[in-house]
Amino acid sequence: MTRLLERPLVHFALAVVTVLVLPLVLRSGTLASEILIFGLAAAACNLLLGYTGLLSFGQGIFFGLGSYAAGLLLLRADLPAAAMLPLVALVGAGTATAVGWLSIRRQGVYFVMLTLAFSQLFYFLAYTSSDLTGGDNGLLNIPRPRIGERVLGGPWAYYAYVAVLFLVLFALLQRVALSTFGRTLLAIRDNEARASAIGFPVRAFKVAAFAISGAVTALAGALHAMLIGVAPLSNIEYHTSETLLIMTIIGGTANLFASVLGAAFYLIAGDLLSAIWPRWLLLLGALLVAIALFMQRGLWGLIERAAAAMTRSPAPEAARPADAAVTEEGRP
Amino acid sequence: MLNRRAFLTQTALVAGTLGAPPLLRGAWAADGALTVGAPLPMSGAFAANGKFAALGAAFAAEEAGTVLGRKVVARDLDTEGKPATAARRVQEALAEGTRLFAGGILSSEALVMGKEVTNGGGVFFTTAGADEITGTECNRGTFRWSVPTHGAIAQTVRPLIEQMPQAKRWYTITPQYVFGEGLLGAAKAVFQEKGIEHVGNSYHALAEKEFSGYLTNAIAAKPDVLLILSFGSQSSDTLRQAVSFGLKKRMTIVLAWASGLEQFEALGPDLCEGIYFGAQYWHGIDSPMNKAFVAKVREKAKFSPNYSFAGSYLLTKLLLDGAAKAGSAEGPAVAKVLEGMTYAGLTGEEEIRAADHQVIKNYYLLKGKAKSAMADKDDFVDIVSSGKSFLSPEAAGCKMA
Repeated sequence: MTRLLERPLVHFALAVVTVLVLPLVLRSGTLASEILIFGLAAAACNLLLGYTGLLSFGQGIFFGLGSYAAGLLLLRADLPAAAMLPLVALVGAGTATAVGWLSIRRQGVYFVMLTLAFSQLFYFLAYTSSDLTGGDNGLLNIPRPRIGERVLGGPWAYYAYVAVLFLVLFALLQRVALSTFGRTLLAIRDNEARASAIGFPVRAFKVAAFAISGAVTALAGALHAMLIGVAPLSNIEYHTSETLLIMTIIGGTANLFASVLGAAFYLIAGDLLSAIWPRWLLLLGALLVAIALFMQRGLWGLIERAAAAMTRSPAPEAARPADAAVTEEGRP
Repeated sequence: MLNRRAFLTQTALVAGTLGAPPLLRGAWAADGALTVGAPLPMSGAFAANGKFAALGAAFAAEEAGTVLGRKVVARDLDTEGKPATAARRVQEALAEGTRLFAGGILSSEALVMGKEVTNGGGVFFTTAGADEITGTECNRGTFRWSVPTHGAIAQTVRPLIEQMPQAKRWYTITPQYVFGEGLLGAAKAVFQEKGIEHVGNSYHALAEKEFSGYLTNAIAAKPDVLLILSFGSQSSDTLRQAVSFGLKKRMTIVLAWASGLEQFEALGPDLCEGIYFGAQYWHGIDSPMNKAFVAKVREKAKFSPNYSFAGSYLLTKLLLDGAAKAGSAEGPAVAKVLEGMTYAGLTGEEEIRAADHQVIKNYYLLKGKAKSAMADKDDFVDIVSSGKSFLSPEAAGCKMA
């Protein structure tokens, strides 16, 4: 059973099940859409954190830029959503390439500091460019997409739109993770010096990982802006980067679906707890401490341990993407 | 190794967390009740304001009892102080049938919620400050009780200029965001009109906590008056640091947009003494409705109502009065009744202007009194003056769709 949990096809099947189950267990179509959108952004964050070993505080930049780019292209250029989304992906990839290219010149804590600095830089750019971004009021009146003549105004109609894009992008991210490129990222994460000695252009691979992650995160930002009808300043704040990292860590960095799990848990727990106790973020802090101390593979690790207990087989040991294990067993 | 018992326990916890929202939502949606949504920052940096506003909404709901034959319920919707969460909360509440919304303390939240509620067929009443709410972003379903920046400056800066004709040099400290720019623009217009020399301005960022550098600049400019245009905790921090720098003895200090009682309680009487404050509401306002309201709150809740409490109470009451008069709780019907309505409000005679949905009400200039002169623990200030100053809907930029 533990082997089954390592199969990418199972992860994709779980993503499909998530899309189908959310409307059955949640009354709010908006919350369900938000789970898929943040699940996508967390999965893109995981491509950097879990697969490349890069702890980036810059994901909020791409998420926020995606929101602003979507708003500007829909409102000022009057483009339809279908034409806007590829352009947003390009904006995300381009910005992430620039941020990544400059940040990966340093390693460890200096890399983290650089991504933090970029995060603040882009935040203040958005904050002061109020003619373009609406400043602290946000960019308002962002419309929902249309299918033919029909505007996807209802929460569940928009959920269906998000769900299709989520599955397509999730499959693409999985394809990237399973490709030779993805394997090389794992090699770089595990031993950068050796990967470089073998002859891999390590910097180029890292920048490419940034670009892919940035494109997907920007698309998630665009979907979010269309969901709530506004590109708020908070989308490009440092706090968004932090939230995406927390979701990724709660879910576990073992595979891309774990990030979706982390996003779902974070949003549903927040929705529930905030109604019960205004200081619910304290509980979230305690949960993070518990995960750091006892559950380093996150919620996915818990599922793996549970599966191992059920079948009495040993649980996976190291905190590594499960896809890697599959490759070592015979994938090209 | 995880044993089966531990696995079952942990799985149940996770499943419970994931599966509980529909159950809770069901519990919240009381059958047949007339729900007034109160989208407020109940957690996060503005949770204290949200808490009092929620109490105010509940107070109004309890007072109303039954409207249109339905029991009135005020339901808190935690916006966490984030526009995105605020939009989601009102979308969810609209989907569950709520049409009346009173809340939105922060401008960025209120702008988003106004659009969402209007598009969803509801009506939204707010106390948020951004001029755009009843200006360029005005819409059919959004109403605002608080006085915008133009009126706030007109009722604080103008009376002080008249009271202190010798004070010709003014220095401003401004938060560099849309609301701060609105206050600064209005202040500059008054300075120009009255021949006041604006000797300098310091901008500070949204998350700034240290203001000593700006205060040093202010001292160097040798102004007669220091006009602080920040709000919330930033204005309190600026004032604290200004007083500790000894600026109170050197110049007159004016805080144009104060929160009222909750802010004075945090600052204390020694700091407030001699400082001028602009405010939307003060529990000492001499109006029949306010006197009755304050007495009732003191009797039932055992405290004096602050701005968050009073504002939220009045918004909820107005929505319920509107629903009762319209004979319907649907947004467009209630909005139609509210347009042009005049009533005896907390600040005296108030009118909801039909053209932009702005409530025409008084704004107050207050002055901090000495601790020894306070009649009770809440008697921090005297009302110096009050008045109504508003741009026309056209000048505010409202084009009602």
